[in-house]
Amino acid sequence: MYAATTSVALVGGEARSVEVQAHVGRQTEAFKLSGLPDTAVREAKDRVRAAVTSAGIRFPNRAVTVNLAPADLPKGGTDYDLPIALGILAASREIPDLRQAVVVGELALDGAVRAGSNALGAGVLSARYQVPCLVASSAAGEAASIPGATAFGVSSLAEAVELFRDGLEGRTPARPGEPVPRGAFPDLADIKGQGVARRALEVAAAGGHHLLLHGPPGSGKTMLARRMIGILPRLPVGEAIETAMVWAAAGRRRGLDTTPPFRSPHHTASKAALVGGGSGNPVPGEASLAHRGVLFLDELAEFPRGHLDTLRQPLEEGFVSVARRGMSVDFPASFQLVAATNPCPCGFHGDGRKPCDCRPALRWRYRSRISGPLLDRFDLIVRVGRVEAIEYAGQAGEPSSEVATRVENARAAQLARGQFNRYLASSAVLEESPAARGLVAAAVGKALLTARGADRVRRVARTIADLASVDQVEEEHMAEAIGLRGEWRDD
Amino acid sequence: MTEHRLMGPGDEGYPAGLYDLESPPRLYVLGETTSAPAVAVVGTRRSTRYGMSLAGAFGRALAGAGWTTVSGLARGIDAAAHRGTLDADGEAVAVLGSGIDVIYPAEHRDIYHRILDGKGAVMSEYPPGTPPDRWRFPARNRLIAAIASAVVVVEAGLKGGALITARLAAEVGRPVFAVPGDVDRPASKGCNLLIRDGAIPALGVDDLIAELELVLGKPPRRQAKANSEIPATGIAIDDLPGIWGCTPAEALGRLARMEIAGEVRRSGEVVIPI
Repeated sequence: MYAATTSVALVGGEARSVEVQAHVGRQTEAFKLSGLPDTAVREAKDRVRAAVTSAGIRFPNRAVTVNLAPADLPKGGTDYDLPIALGILAASREIPDLRQAVVVGELALDGAVRAGSNALGAGVLSARYQVPCLVASSAAGEAASIPGATAFGVSSLAEAVELFRDGLEGRTPARPGEPVPRGAFPDLADIKGQGVARRALEVAAAGGHHLLLHGPPGSGKTMLARRMIGILPRLPVGEAIETAMVWAAAGRRRGLDTTPPFRSPHHTASKAALVGGGSGNPVPGEASLAHRGVLFLDELAEFPRGHLDTLRQPLEEGFVSVARRGMSVDFPASFQLVAATNPCPCGFHGDGRKPCDCRPALRWRYRSRISGPLLDRFDLIVRVGRVEAIEYAGQAGEPSSEVATRVENARAAQLARGQFNRYLASSAVLEESPAARGLVAAAVGKALLTARGADRVRRVARTIADLASVDQVEEEHMAEAIGLRGEWRDD
Repeated sequence: MTEHRLMGPGDEGYPAGLYDLESPPRLYVLGETTSAPAVAVVGTRRSTRYGMSLAGAFGRALAGAGWTTVSGLARGIDAAAHRGTLDADGEAVAVLGSGIDVIYPAEHRDIYHRILDGKGAVMSEYPPGTPPDRWRFPARNRLIAAIASAVVVVEAGLKGGALITARLAAEVGRPVFAVPGDVDRPASKGCNLLIRDGAIPALGVDDLIAELELVLGKPPRRQAKANSEIPATGIAIDDLPGIWGCTPAEALGRLARMEIAGEVRRSGEVVIPI
């Protein structure tokens, strides 16, 4: 006796349908599982058997074979528990075959259904094929938030069985979930002084520009960077779903969170952890988890140079290709890079008061860990100076909420043009005044900027003009943008 | 061309060093003369590439440190020194051995005009139209030696104007610097000879500037620096908005313009005047 249910596999940030085929034969009792399952899926056998028994249904004491097709898609996680259980029950004729529903959910041994990471994927398939989907009730809102999806939530296997027996007619599907309210973030009001760095943070947030902060230890580089998230606008629901899908591919449930992700991997992270990899199933890395948000690399020069250079592909193209076992998977990885670094191993080079102890050769080696091409990709390079005691005792800075309002307005202007300034092609017509154009040419002429640096500066100038709600980039905007790209020169 | 002036002893702007000569001459002058102390950078016309680049570096460094530089508009070392000074936006003075309107050699027309376009001056004791006769050059060299507070000989052969300038400088009590070189290189033999005779060896750009300040004291900062409001010791970038009374955004823009104009440079978190 044979039956099948439909479930989901995530490849890259994309949902693909998986057919869960169940066969109950006449042979003596056995339970086989095939179709490239990972360990978590293989363990489904025990959970399914226990959950079915707990739900008061007889588990067939025959030869049970379950196959996840197509076999070449890698499948992972606990979300196949529920479709496997329902498939087996349909094959042993306990319940009718409901092939037309997409089912995901993890089973507890007592028969409860829990949300795994694939509920969003089920919603996507539901919308794509115009079929209902069945997910854990705690994730129903998430699945229903996909435009066009019809989602039903169940909290136990018994409830799911009942739903299969009675059919879906007359039941009300789940309502789209409310976006998760944004949590509390560190506020810019905590930062005293640092006018230049604060301004750099605002401009970077407004244009989605890559930002490098450098300066002596204790100057507040990390504090500043961590406040980026509080001034970024919320993600549109579509982008929040995109991000959550990538997270799901990494086996993490992000939910319908419209806060841009903020990822700060430690400098001991492996290449695979940074850009994705893994043995067997390709797993996205931090660069992809930061999709539509911020990737923060603290102590940039401490990262192995080879690791940093792997970031060049996502910085350039917005995705990472991970090749594993004859297949190559593209994970979206369009993030804003924010990095902080000391100027030298001791940290005090260029400091007004404390001398630097580092030998020049050592300093040179430290800096050379950040390759020129990577350095070139930063739109803003800003020195963060040490805060004087007087400043420190001074009044609080402007709160994040006020900065966020300006950032949001500037972004609205960019979206009206079609894209963030970070993505502007260098050839794009930027509507610059002749004086602005002359200034950047003069800066290149004086070797203050490289040609690529000049392209970056022009994009930043566009953002500054957006912050000022001006259509044309004027000379003052260009001048500030040049000022915000104090090259990380050896001086 | 702008009108030249004729000035003699006692006139305003007359180079003070010339009073050390037995009979201070009358001078035809184009451009601005200042009382800022000057350093002469001179040498052979048959200079090496090394000597030219060093003379250029001296010119830039001297201008950067606030010295006016004096030379003779001749080929080789003279021209390189002039160009270096002009590149650093410094004050260059050219003393000619011909009439003030006779550019010799003609290919140095660009230097001549850059001096007049900038803050420097061109002078000669000969009336306009005087041709560049060879016998006039040693006499011109005595003016260079006297106008300058110190003379630096970058490269010199055993015979030639540079050694004459050095000797005349010593006669009017000016310290003489010479760049040491290979003993068998023709363009260095004169310099090495000067060092044996008591000239101060110039061991590099920084060494020269340091020695000059030791012997003559620091040159007074030129006027342009005072306007930038950036003290010579530098100022933190974060302090600029407070000093200028503007927002950080405006301060960054103003700083960028000053960098482009070559007035300041950044070093770590500090802005330093050039």
